[in-house]
Amino acid sequence: MRPSKVRRFHFARDVEEALSLLAAYDGRGSLLAGGVDLLRSPPASLEGLISITRIGLSYVNETRGAPAIGATTTLTDILERERARTYAGGVLREMLGQVAVPPLRNMATLGGAVVSAHPWADIPTALVALGAEARWQADREEQAPMEDLYGGAFRGIFRRAVLVEVVFPPWDGAFAYEKVSRTRYDIALLNACCGVGLDDGVIAWARVAVGATPDRGERLPWAEEALVGEKPGEKRWKEIRALVEGQIEVGDDRRASGAWRRSVAGVLVARALSRASARAAR
Amino acid sequence: MRVHVELNGVPQYLDVAPGEPLLSLLRRVGLKSVKEGCDAGDCGACTVLVDGRAVRSCLMVAPQVQGRKVTTLEGLGTVDDLHPLQEAFLETGAVQCGFCTPGMILVAHELLSRNGDPTADEVRAAISGNLCRCTGYVKIVDAILLAARWKREGKWR
Repeated sequence: MRPSKVRRFHFARDVEEALSLLAAYDGRGSLLAGGVDLLRSPPASLEGLISITRIGLSYVNETRGAPAIGATTTLTDILERERARTYAGGVLREMLGQVAVPPLRNMATLGGAVVSAHPWADIPTALVALGAEARWQADREEQAPMEDLYGGAFRGIFRRAVLVEVVFPPWDGAFAYEKVSRTRYDIALLNACCGVGLDDGVIAWARVAVGATPDRGERLPWAEEALVGEKPGEKRWKEIRALVEGQIEVGDDRRASGAWRRSVAGVLVARALSRASARAAR
Repeated sequence: MRVHVELNGVPQYLDVAPGEPLLSLLRRVGLKSVKEGCDAGDCGACTVLVDGRAVRSCLMVAPQVQGRKVTTLEGLGTVDDLHPLQEAFLETGAVQCGFCTPGMILVAHELLSRNGDPTADEVRAAISGNLCRCTGYVKIVDAILLAARWKREGKWR
């Protein structure tokens, strides 16, 4: 019975009440949606749980031809929504289908994954590659690219805010996701999410992000620049593989060595680019 | 605090502690098919259905099921009136020590409620988060495929 010090449980009625309760606990309360991360290892100081599952943040909407996904939407619900399944060449379906096992996907929410942002996780790498933005409510409503948030002190922001939704941009092209893990649903030893847009047979734009390096997913702008204006194909993918192997910053942790990550990163990026390019050409 | 829940088809009020794991509540009220294994969401022994979805009861606190439908193995069948999934597990020899069986059956129940004709790979994917240290999984997969066939043949009540 791990969260045994919890003395109160609240169902917030709206975002404002959730924020008010969060402030009242002064660091000893936590927002709760799926609870997969929070209840697995709750902080010792946790006294109050504030459920935000009944404030209307479970949805997949469409804005500007791309999905906007509410923070408390479960991964299973996202996988079942056509708008999310087909977005950017089906990359969300491809990626989320490899996140945890089905019962955990029934519980885990997109917002939880965004806020937890484990370095080995699949979702942050894809969100950074896709240029997704987080919209949250604190003293005022704010929105910022996930890439910028993860590059700064995002945990401080979400300790006193309610993440409302993740907004995805429209892309004229396609993405693909690759990862290496012990099993299909296990945490990543390394992952990559890449996107390509084609214009008259030439790469018009490219997005390349690699995660679990062992740090959280980050874009590789030098790899993206090397692709723009080039023709897609096996020769190009071999070149980008060598470029990534030569320039990517990776490290050791208990799961994998830096040397292994360096060699695998080039392969994953090349595979993801090849598949994204094929999807974009359809 | 008091929560209202439809537990195995019976609406009822239950007194719970705000931080009480759902797993602890269910065993406290006598539903011993719900097992405590890893207590970290990894093994699947504590699986129950909440509004028809398989979830880990060790990773939920009891108040989260306020107003929802919770189903444990006891809600599917009884010793005298087994559910077809339970019959299929017996028929194929998919039960050895039995510790994982309730979770396996509930995960299979969710799968078959959405996909009446799963492939063996789809069954393996569905049970991928439920660990069995006895059977090697082959007979469990056989059991779920058999139950699916019975369902397509109209043999489920």
